Amino acid sequence: MRQRALALILALLAAVPLAACGGNAPATSGGGPVRLLLNGAPDELAAYRQLADAYRKATGGSMQLVEASDRGDLITKLSTSIAGGSPPDAFLMNYRFYGQFAAKDAIEPLDDRMSRSSVIRKADYYPAPMEAFRWKGRQLCLPQNVSSLAVYYNRDLFRKYGVAEPRPGWTWNDLVSTAGRMTVDASGRPVRGGESEGGAGKVAVYGLGIEPSMIRLAPFVWSNGGDIVDNPQHPTRLTLDTPEAREALRNLIDLRQAYGVVPSDQEVEAEDDESRFANGRLAMLMSSRRVTTMFRSITAFEWDVASLPIYDRAVNILHSDAYCVTRASRNKDATWRFLEYAFGPEGQRIMAATGRTVPSHMEVSRSPAFLGPAQPPRSARVFLDAVANIRQLPTVSTWPEIEDVTGGILENALYRGDKLDDVIRQLDEQTRPLFARAETP
Amino acid sequence: MVRGRASGPSPYPTRAAQAGRALGAVFVVLVFVPPLLLLVAGSLHRPGLPPAPRPRLVPDPLSTQAYADAFAVGGLARATVNSLLVAVFAVPLSVLVASLAGFALARLRGRIVGAVVALTLLALMVPTTALLVPRFALFRSLNLTDTLVPLVAPALIATSPLYVLVYFLAFRALPAELYDACRIEDLTPLRTWWRVGLPLVRPVTAAVAALSFVTTWSNLLDPLVYLYDRGRYTLPLALRSLSTLDKHDFPVLLAGAVVATIPALVTFALAQRRFLHHHE
Repeated sequence: MRQRALALILALLAAVPLAACGGNAPATSGGGPVRLLLNGAPDELAAYRQLADAYRKATGGSMQLVEASDRGDLITKLSTSIAGGSPPDAFLMNYRFYGQFAAKDAIEPLDDRMSRSSVIRKADYYPAPMEAFRWKGRQLCLPQNVSSLAVYYNRDLFRKYGVAEPRPGWTWNDLVSTAGRMTVDASGRPVRGGESEGGAGKVAVYGLGIEPSMIRLAPFVWSNGGDIVDNPQHPTRLTLDTPEAREALRNLIDLRQAYGVVPSDQEVEAEDDESRFANGRLAMLMSSRRVTTMFRSITAFEWDVASLPIYDRAVNILHSDAYCVTRASRNKDATWRFLEYAFGPEGQRIMAATGRTVPSHMEVSRSPAFLGPAQPPRSARVFLDAVANIRQLPTVSTWPEIEDVTGGILENALYRGDKLDDVIRQLDEQTRPLFARAETP
Repeated sequence: MVRGRASGPSPYPTRAAQAGRALGAVFVVLVFVPPLLLLVAGSLHRPGLPPAPRPRLVPDPLSTQAYADAFAVGGLARATVNSLLVAVFAVPLSVLVASLAGFALARLRGRIVGAVVALTLLALMVPTTALLVPRFALFRSLNLTDTLVPLVAPALIATSPLYVLVYFLAFRALPAELYDACRIEDLTPLRTWWRVGLPLVRPVTAAVAALSFVTTWSNLLDPLVYLYDRGRYTLPLALRSLSTLDKHDFPVLLAGAVVATIPALVTFALAQRRFLHHHE
């Protein structure tokens, strides 16, 4: 009996490595395939697989994608592998989140390689996203896209209710009045969403969808002549207490609290803004280029994009992701060769075909690969026009935490109607410690 | 060999107890079945359509396209095989080690038992994330990252200290006379564990096996950290990937969830038949 039990244990132990399916990739990738860590939806990841295949065919280089699903997973994977001494060779990350890795000196500067490259010329790329990935004077990552905010709108609904479509240069007041006229009940009569009027249930179409977050608020604060922090390069606190920022914040809150043109939090929980728009029950949605692929599957109505409304001046906010090489990579030369391909025109054309990205390569962004009329939005040029007035958020190492904290407070402000002074005070109090321990670029 | 019962309450449940059980079962069904029904109904919607504002039990049109997409887009077939492979090795190993450790602990005497139990409780309180980096560094130095070994390896220490404690309590509850009788019969400790102890704690084995299966089956963090190659991803990672699909394709995620749920349900059904009914 004892022998049988022991044999069972030994058999299990012996079988475990077999269960591991071989594999046994080297812990570090020195000489092996270039490992690129990235996150995205399956269709987005499929596009990167296509990019990797094209790279292999074009150069014979070896390439392995390490796929995470969302940003949280990517950061967990990246942090653990860096701390454990075996990071991927490169990773793809938004400028708002790379500061924490830059501060730990985990990213390899690329200035020297760029200056020696015969493929990459800095002058071919939009300067704003390049600047966003500079840390302490060094170019740490290479941005693949230069997205910004736009207003997606349902053209059929605008025609149906006889409301003029958004035009370039339209103002915040235009946005509010348009959203008011487009917030209607089942018979098409303008109504106001809000529990006090008992009108929440009557709304059939809401005028506008906007996420209560710092990345949505910031461009309007800038447009109104204010700023969100005291020093964009070395911020120590939020400055939403200035008259310009207060006005922009109050107007954002009023969208729900005073005008009832955006869905309530319960309604957003039941059906998020993107789904509501796709269902034809949201006239306008403020979002980045990201939602384009989803909206391209809409067949029930025609939609387009318009520029962001302005206060005093046209300003937009940068959305950009970049390829970064890890400092501990043992495969830097091969990684750089991949980056030259992916960041170059060929790679950017492949990624532009997904519809999700606005290429950071100027020539590609103006080519049919991005502006091609085959698929909506018809006014894709809106994204390119925005680049001239684009601004970036701070890239301090604690910015992800600051976004998390401010998101909750702004949500309560928009949906619960917290007092403006309390909102501004909470935002300031809860973010000061985060700014205090931040590493700055 | 069965545990005798000289006196005490009747082993047969009273009518009130039976009614209580039935009520409990109805409550459990009412709580757990509607979400499962919605899950299955949602998976039978055609992907690519705008999401329905309210859940519908009977999809219109009825479609199995989401299942085809889940396997094609999410790599569910490979992920299911990988998850099964991990579970097939990890669960029995975990039960084996936990039962052996629990038995050994139950047979210890004196202060050492208290010390070991205290240490086990301490180990139970250590957050998994605190061990993430050291474990990653360990498996990296063994050249085992990007294999399924790190997902099975925790079973070598019973997966969780909780399982050891559960077995310890179960073995300790057996009458001391039973162990004395085994000693008189000249049974070795290993034989006592296998021939006497384990058969008497069969329901505990079922529970630990089920818990261990759920832990292994739904383990997201370890595969996320240790695996690089998509071909080695397990079901939680595949489902995580499907969850990032656009809202239009939510039926695909739900189809993936149904596929991931079926083996768990089958395992529970088998465990219940094999262990609990047999005991009765």
